[in-house]
Amino acid sequence: MSNSFIGRNPSILWFLLALSVFTIGVTLLSEATGTGLISTSFLKTLGKTLCLCLVAIAMDVVWGYCGILSLGHFAFFGIGGYAIGMWLMYARTEGIVTGSLSGSALPPTPQEVTDAIGTQIFGVVGSSEFPALWAFSHSLPLQLLAVVAVPGLLALVFGWLAFRSRVTGVYLSILTQAMTLALSLYFFQNDTGLRGNNGLSGLQNIPGLEAVPQATISLWFFWASAVALALGYILFAWVVSGKLGSVIRAIRDNEARVRFLGYHVESYKLFVFTLTAMVAGIAGALYYPQAGIINPAEIAPIASIYLAVWVAIGGRGRLYGAVIGAALVSLLSSWFTGGSAPPINLGFYVVKWTEWWLVLLGLSFVAVTLFFPKGIGGIFDYFERKRLPDRQGDYGPDKGALRQQEGVE
Amino acid sequence: MSTLLEVSGVSVTFDGFRAINNLSIQIAEPELRAVIGPNGAGKTTFMDIITGKTKPDEGRVIFGEKSVNLLGMSESQIAQAGIGRKFQKPTVFEAQTVRENIVMALKNPRGPFDVLFKRRADAREERVREISDEIGLTEALDQTSGALSHGQKQWLEIGMLLAQDPRLLLVDEPAAGMTPQEREHTTDLLVRAARTRAVVVVEHDMEFVRRLNCKVTVLHEGSVLAEGSLDHVTKNKDVVDVYLGR
Ligand SMILES: Nc1ncnc2c1ncn2[C@@H]1O[C@H](COP(=O)(O)OP(=O)(O)O)[C@@H](O)[C@H]1O
Ligand SMILES: [Mg+2]
Repeated sequence: MSNSFIGRNPSILWFLLALSVFTIGVTLLSEATGTGLISTSFLKTLGKTLCLCLVAIAMDVVWGYCGILSLGHFAFFGIGGYAIGMWLMYARTEGIVTGSLSGSALPPTPQEVTDAIGTQIFGVVGSSEFPALWAFSHSLPLQLLAVVAVPGLLALVFGWLAFRSRVTGVYLSILTQAMTLALSLYFFQNDTGLRGNNGLSGLQNIPGLEAVPQATISLWFFWASAVALALGYILFAWVVSGKLGSVIRAIRDNEARVRFLGYHVESYKLFVFTLTAMVAGIAGALYYPQAGIINPAEIAPIASIYLAVWVAIGGRGRLYGAVIGAALVSLLSSWFTGGSAPPINLGFYVVKWTEWWLVLLGLSFVAVTLFFPKGIGGIFDYFERKRLPDRQGDYGPDKGALRQQEGVE
Repeated sequence: MSTLLEVSGVSVTFDGFRAINNLSIQIAEPELRAVIGPNGAGKTTFMDIITGKTKPDEGRVIFGEKSVNLLGMSESQIAQAGIGRKFQKPTVFEAQTVRENIVMALKNPRGPFDVLFKRRADAREERVREISDEIGLTEALDQTSGALSHGQKQWLEIGMLLAQDPRLLLVDEPAAGMTPQEREHTTDLLVRAARTRAVVVVEHDMEFVRRLNCKVTVLHEGSVLAEGSLDHVTKNKDVVDVYLGR
């Protein structure tokens, strides 16, 4: 089965090949194994980029294939990051606290240890109590479960409410954005118990691996991100191929017609929305240990809007397009905003990219939308010579045939 | 012949305008029925009501020997119960191939997980071939359906209807935009389909209706004006006045 599945979707092989070559190349050039041509901080950037590519293909499936312009998928990504971040912070603080308490005359009681951890973690928001949200933070398996379960459940409940009332198009986008805004405001509050606008930090320090240098840990995360992207790509390529893909694209193009074929459109949307939210959570869980820090600003609606921009620039409705868009734009973005891009001196004005990058990005987005609706990925159509006669919506084969104007009721 | 569909006393109002007015129609199984009437008579709205697109203000729509009430069901449930529909304006999925369109319509379990995991069983080549031969699109199976001619799109939609294997087919103006030969082929197809099921055809073209050679219902201003053989209704004075006289 998988044999012919890949046979029918050759882009999977090409993608996996490119990803393997990239991963091996980066590994050989990294500080941990090779020449160190790629610094550890740049290695982390590359690893993070792979995670962004993963959330971008999830976005592409939900938007490019199923037609739901979700402005909430980066929030699911952030929630995945928070879920793993809670365990990372708890476990590492526990290690530090037991270390310092072991010096005292009497062995510390479990209660003392918990209190000390609480003070360490929540001191910044003037508290030392463990909030209910942290009930499972001591357990890695449970927090890993939360990485997929929390975004998944949230998407399931939200999607069920939104889809069954048949909200579509712009209104649905606004609704998802409202959900994202509400979530980020919730995360911003100190009372929520997620350290308010401080967010979670020190996530690059992996408990139990204190002896391993960051160069090595970063490489491991880079590999994990590459594997996750590869698996995510295969999963989504499988989902959007064959009949399910056919139904999903049909829903995007004319959902009313799909209903008359007997498909319960809402279940399909819910399936896609929830599955992609779970994958977004996984991508976030791999991203934030490489970033080292997460705060509620990462969940804010603007992040999800950027995600949509990447997918649009890369090319909606093809998975590799989303990968190209996310990789290109996020790497360019860190180059421009990181201050490495040389300023342009116009004589009367100096264009500093840290300030003008967003303008450039905005203009590119408008240009792509207007002139290249297929995005960068559209270039590949020229290679495939799969250019089809553009007769959609117009009926007849020749001048004498019925035209569209006559066909409408 | 037993009654398959019973529409009784149905009315629909759009912004104060009565598009359907106390309409009652019965369709047997098997049966071929033509519905004619001037533009705006409510023929398409009649199909909208049966398929769940429009909810009527009053009246009953009962289907099958278990007498299920269609008015309480969603569009997809109605389709699954065995009612298929071809739209007036051909609506195939133009970005997809002819094969994909047919496979999507084929009668199979409709849940997302059924569709995800049973993709092979669902796309059985013989069944696709059977349908594509019937509608003359076997050559075009792997072509994008947006590239088909108007008449071919009409056929593809009829093919999708056959693929669903419904008990009741509602066909809205199937011959629009077809050449005379294509029309003839379409009549044959509908007549054949009606041997084993109920088929309701809305059509403007009298020649086409004559070739169907079946019972005719004339709609006017949302209710039935006359019913019977084509010769019978064309002799009816009311019908001549409102429809044929023009
Ligand atoms: N959704 C709607 N809103 C308002 N008026 C409608 C709607 N659908 C149909 N109508 C009106 O109802 C009448 C019947 O329409 P229709 O069923 O399409 O007629 P037919 O198919 O017989 O030509 C027309 O006058 C039409 O304008
Ligand atoms: Mg009509």
